[in-house]
Amino acid sequence: MNDRNTISEADLNAYVDGELAPARRAAVEALLADSPRDRERIAAWREQGATLAALYGHVADEAMPARLSPHRLAAERRGGFGRLAVAAAAVALVLAGGAGGWIGRGLVAPDAAETTLIGEAEAAHVLYTPEVLHPVEVSGAEGAHLAKWLSRRLDRTLIIPDLAPEGFSLVGGRLLPAAGSAAALLMYESDDGARITLYVVPSAGEETAMRVSSADGLTAVSWHAETLGCVLVGALPRETLLRLAKASYGSLDQAPDI
Amino acid sequence: MPGFLDDIETLVPALRRYARALTGNADRADDLVQDCLERAIAKQSLWRPIGPLRPWLFTIMINLHRNDRRRRRAAPEAEALDVLPFEPASPPSQGARLALAETAAALDRLPAEQREALLLVALEGMSYAEAAGVLGVPVGTLMSRIGRAREALRALVDGTGPKLRSVK
Repeated sequence: MNDRNTISEADLNAYVDGELAPARRAAVEALLADSPRDRERIAAWREQGATLAALYGHVADEAMPARLSPHRLAAERRGGFGRLAVAAAAVALVLAGGAGGWIGRGLVAPDAAETTLIGEAEAAHVLYTPEVLHPVEVSGAEGAHLAKWLSRRLDRTLIIPDLAPEGFSLVGGRLLPAAGSAAALLMYESDDGARITLYVVPSAGEETAMRVSSADGLTAVSWHAETLGCVLVGALPRETLLRLAKASYGSLDQAPDI
Repeated sequence: MPGFLDDIETLVPALRRYARALTGNADRADDLVQDCLERAIAKQSLWRPIGPLRPWLFTIMINLHRNDRRRRRAAPEAEALDVLPFEPASPPSQGARLALAETAAALDRLPAEQREALLLVALEGMSYAEAAGVLGVPVGTLMSRIGRAREALRALVDGTGPKLRSVK
């Protein structure tokens, strides 16, 4: 290809496709002047290109059939097996012993231990939600496995909340180190790409009311159920996040014992 | 997600064009594009592709097409190649029409790997680097496939080289 006095097949093709460096291009052009046979081939190849464009170029200008609309295909997917898969994958973050209701007890300010928990949850949220390639370790598609794995590692029976009715589908989850224990991080995503995370740690504390805190554009809703501490974090209005937190908690009561 | 879907939508015309040339059949081409889009949307819900979408989508579609061809070989069925894949606004002369039909038929006779490579570069205007990435082969391999495809097409259409039978 770099022989100065001959033109290789690769040279000729690269010449036609505009892939030669300027110096080599000039050299090939000079050699072509003395090679009618190669000039003829180049002309034939270019005609092939023009024929292909005449045959198929118009396809790109046709109106797109409705069945090929990505938005429509995505909507069909969400309405069809996508939702079923999420539902079958298991629902609701639950304690084996059940959980009492506390919503309505009012919202109170977090204490020091709670502040640590919220800080860890926010740090995990900030670290993982922008992640494109590996936002989670185990995908939401493997929901049953995810619930089993995290339950074992946290030594609690977890059922993963289904937030699909609220417009958030499960991306998946990962295991994280936390102060004195392990933590589970569950990630959900809305149709428009907003991500929220639910951070869960084993806890021996009492049930508490929901507490809301906001900092740096992030809102965190935290609560303790009987043996779990939970923090839901997102860059969303506090009303939205509270609604999602209640949905997460609400599904606790509906979940069957496992 | 809407951003991703909008981005995909801008690539649908090129995917349809390529699929039409690859399969030579309008219905099968659109089926292939639909499979490709469904696969991409399913994958994207968890794993957004790194880098540009175009090569990613073309890779998905080519892999689906290869699977499809394997399946067809296992269970052959009557398959019509669109003789002329469109009705031109102004009918070309009989000679020109024949040249188009001949090229379409010749393209269909090329080995699949040559057809895939040539169309990415000559029809879709991809650089060698991008096309090689789509096919997962070194640039040198891509170039040799393109070179062989061009010579084979020329031979088939002009009759300047080995005859039809020997190409495949």
